[in-house]
Amino acid sequence: MPIEEKIDIVRRNFLTDIDSFPQDKKEIENLRSKYLGRKGFISELFVLLGKATNEEKPKLGKKLNHFKNEITDLFELEISKINDESNDFQKNQQDFTLPGNEPRLGSLHILDQTLTEIKDIFKSIGFHLAYGPEIDDDYHNFSALNIPEHHPARDMQDTFFVDQNTVLRTHTSNVQIHLMEKKDPPLRYIVPGRVYRNEAIGYKSYCLFHQVEGIYINKKVSMADLKGCLEYFVKQMFGLKRKMRFRPSFFPFTEPSAEVDIWDNDRKQWMEILGCGMVDPAVLNNVGYDTRKWNGYAFGMGVERISMLKYGIDDIRNFYSGDVRFSKQFI
Amino acid sequence: MIISLEWLQDFVNINESPQELSDILSNIGLEAETTDTNVETPGVIIANVESAEKHPNADKLKICMVNDGDTIHQVICGAPNVEPGQLVPFAKIGSVLPGNFKIKKVKIRGVESNGMICSERELRISDEHEGIMVLPDNLKLGDDFKSSYGYKFHSLELDITPNRADAFSHYGVARDIACATERKLKNLEEKKTVLPSDGFKIPISSENIEDCPRYIGGIIKNIKVGPSPDWLVQKLKSAGHRSINNVVDISNYVLLEMGHPTHIFDYNKILNKKILIRRAKKNEPITTLDGQNFKLNNDHLVITDGKHPIALAGVMGGENSAVSEQTFEVFVESAYFNPITIRKGSKNLSLTTDASKRFERGADPNGCLKAFWRVVSLLEEVCGGELISEVIDYHPNPISQIKISLRYSEIISVLGCTIEKQKIETILSGLKIAYKLKNDIYKCTIPSFRPDINREIDLIEEIVRIYGISSIPSNTSLNGVLQYGNPDPESYLDPIKNSFCAFGFHQLFLNSLDNGMVADLTEKVPVSMLNPLNIEMSNLRTSLLPGLLKSADYNIKHGNMNFRLFEIGQIHYINSSLDNKYVENKTIAGIIHGNEKNTSITSKEKKENILNLKGIIVSIFRKKLNMNLKFEKENHTAFLSARKIIINNHEVGYLGEVSSKWIKKLKLDLTTIYGFELNISPIKEMIIKKKEFTKINSYPIVQRDLNLVMNENLEAGNIINLIFKIGGRYVLKVNPVNLFFDEQAIGKDKKSITFSIFFQHPSKTLEDKDVNSIINEIINIADNKFSAKLRA
Repeated sequence: MPIEEKIDIVRRNFLTDIDSFPQDKKEIENLRSKYLGRKGFISELFVLLGKATNEEKPKLGKKLNHFKNEITDLFELEISKINDESNDFQKNQQDFTLPGNEPRLGSLHILDQTLTEIKDIFKSIGFHLAYGPEIDDDYHNFSALNIPEHHPARDMQDTFFVDQNTVLRTHTSNVQIHLMEKKDPPLRYIVPGRVYRNEAIGYKSYCLFHQVEGIYINKKVSMADLKGCLEYFVKQMFGLKRKMRFRPSFFPFTEPSAEVDIWDNDRKQWMEILGCGMVDPAVLNNVGYDTRKWNGYAFGMGVERISMLKYGIDDIRNFYSGDVRFSKQFI
Repeated sequence: MIISLEWLQDFVNINESPQELSDILSNIGLEAETTDTNVETPGVIIANVESAEKHPNADKLKICMVNDGDTIHQVICGAPNVEPGQLVPFAKIGSVLPGNFKIKKVKIRGVESNGMICSERELRISDEHEGIMVLPDNLKLGDDFKSSYGYKFHSLELDITPNRADAFSHYGVARDIACATERKLKNLEEKKTVLPSDGFKIPISSENIEDCPRYIGGIIKNIKVGPSPDWLVQKLKSAGHRSINNVVDISNYVLLEMGHPTHIFDYNKILNKKILIRRAKKNEPITTLDGQNFKLNNDHLVITDGKHPIALAGVMGGENSAVSEQTFEVFVESAYFNPITIRKGSKNLSLTTDASKRFERGADPNGCLKAFWRVVSLLEEVCGGELISEVIDYHPNPISQIKISLRYSEIISVLGCTIEKQKIETILSGLKIAYKLKNDIYKCTIPSFRPDINREIDLIEEIVRIYGISSIPSNTSLNGVLQYGNPDPESYLDPIKNSFCAFGFHQLFLNSLDNGMVADLTEKVPVSMLNPLNIEMSNLRTSLLPGLLKSADYNIKHGNMNFRLFEIGQIHYINSSLDNKYVENKTIAGIIHGNEKNTSITSKEKKENILNLKGIIVSIFRKKLNMNLKFEKENHTAFLSARKIIINNHEVGYLGEVSSKWIKKLKLDLTTIYGFELNISPIKEMIIKKKEFTKINSYPIVQRDLNLVMNENLEAGNIINLIFKIGGRYVLKVNPVNLFFDEQAIGKDKKSITFSIFFQHPSKTLEDKDVNSIINEIINIADNKFSAKLRA
């Protein structure tokens, strides 16, 4: 039989053999040595090639080499497709007591999660959201909010200055001013964002934190409305049975002003969670609203504080540590 | 401010416990907390030190015999001030002091000690711990210390809001308590001495009447400076103040009692015997009472003797005119200064005092006179002084009384509920606001000690404050108007955040403040603060990557080697060519490090690599958000072989392996770490979840593998693009599945890549010949263009 014909036979056999390519490592190895082994078909063919005439040799050699490469490639490809370990596992009777291959879970930061909860609660009672700049002028951060330049109220918030007239916002109330400058009443918004305070870093305070401020402007808004809104928030956030109280306070941009405390059963004391009040008419005048027609309420809370109370986090610095051990607690 | 409960009793009856009183105050806007002074000290009794002999084995200890009226106890005491005849608080064996300190029988240097004589700190009365507390003589031996004397030191700590100048004193707090509890408020003692008929005058003048609308002064002679009497020491102590000497104590006493600051000068140190109030000259020096030297400027108001400053008006006296033990004649100042002037001056020097805090909130211009006479009468009573001058009341610019109309209807409208007129009237009277009711309008006259009440709404706030917010019912109806549109303009971030999470990323919130070196890394001009917290936090970050890299380093050092982290936050820098030069960009950055998956028996260890990161970006922005995403080679300081990320034709960021230059500059121990950062601002409007259905193509898919050998340095993307270009709409996808190097098999500097190509026709079943012709063309052009040849 001419060599060329023998090559074609081996080739046909091979194609039949790989019709269903073995999935077992050992079977693949057997198949490989059947063709590519020292005593395999290909070796045999090369032995035959040695006996061919000099005329035939180049042509047959080329054909045989091509065939060998083809087979070699195929084995490379197929073997790479097979996961050896999983095959060993298959052999080990699929030991289900081995741990599952858990995909690694990522996480949203707990402040992001808390903010989402806050947003959802206020969205459910008709609030929209607005955002604004972290670097703002003195006017929007202070003066427009009825915090005049030389007033002790400025001491309530230690401020980072970027230049004489520009600050890192100390609250997101600056956005309320931008909002009211652009929009006519009525309006109902919450404003989340990062704010900065020039305060020493400790377990209770950090040089920045996140705030959600809210504002509602309409006709004949009352403190009873304010109470209803914030009680709804506290109950949705902390549970229907959570004890809370409103306590009069002072903020330059609201009048009357109040703070809301919730009862902390672990510490056995009231914990302040937000400030609120009826928007001071001076603020509405500053944005050109007619105070005979419009009034409203505003409130503000720290996302960190809410989160700390809700999840029992005792040191504010945890939030900014970048420690994945912290992240993994809130997956 | 510390408020003494005992002191409050001078003006209003208090039956409540400290805790109850603290709740009452908090509920009317004077946020109060009980202090340690209120803790119980069971077992501590009044006893007499009968004798105090030196301990034979210790120089600093004494053996005391202490009589509790029943038994005599031998006690070892180390206090330097213990002496026979003293009445002392004595903790018997078995008593428990604050801090759970149990008193037991002990032997000290061989001598038995049965109990302890207590210091003020041990009883939580003050910080005093140098010696034992010595009690007044009129107490009865054996009586419980707390109930017979210790209660006098019960106090509350009040956080007075900046608007409440009037509440910054015992009398002011008593006024609010009386109003809230509807009790009687006693009057402040007002005693005027008879003026000397032959009194002389000290000339008082001011350069600017705005700065100092009122200045009252008088001279007292025959002052004997010395220790204060017990009652005065005890009062001050109960309000958290130390006794200094009788003259200084009197000024402090009046300040704490009625809230009006006064100052007492040594009259003989006022060289020119006159008072001129003026702004300081530039660089004019002053040394204040506490020994600090200041160079003043035109913002500062000073009291001068006509030439030199003798006090920083409303803030602190000067050292050069201070009362000393030799003082025998004093000049008493009681003034009303402009709040803004005082605040500017005090801020400017970072010098805040009890006086400046009250003046900057707005003192009572009419309180001046009362305070003056209170100081004078106490100087007479306590220091034996005698008023010898006329009292000069320099009052060039009397502050007019404020009258406000308060509409009953407006009160109801703001509260959202009705309130009885009688209740309103009780509150107004309690706050000493005079009113006349006519046609449902209260015409109110505001007392001069309430500078914070200028408008109707201010009065309503007062009503609400005393009435109690808890008395207002909540409106639980969902009032208002509907707002249309997407309620949250940042909701476009949700699919991005959630995808990163799903891909195993932890979201971080990191500090936005960096030091200058870190902020400079991006080669942008950072925004720096005029008054940073410290040098390490003097700039706003110009990139989110340094923070993430620092976290990576932190986590590796704490045993977490494999992680994916991301942050969404603002970065800031200065672009001087813009109107608002402070640029603020919402930015997303992330890093990946270590192994891609947890290794197990069926899952091999695999390192994170750049294609993982590329794949994540592609999945989110191209696949999920359906955006046009491209990468281009471009140098970037943060990355080795950086790729620019282009989304919808906007250059939004970069990705790559983080450069060793950055890692070195950040002083981190990181090796291979991949990262990206992109600015979301220019594309956020385009991230719309616009998804559209296309008919599912059910014609069969034909797969062909194409194994090409090419130069090692030819990027596979060239071939992939070529396949798509030639295959056109018939090519569904191209997967490079195998990369192979073998010098013998394919040649030096060559590689072979197997491309798995999937073909599908939109409207018919593809036949072999259709596919073959495409494949052949690909092979031809790949050869011509890239010398990539079909593997033989």
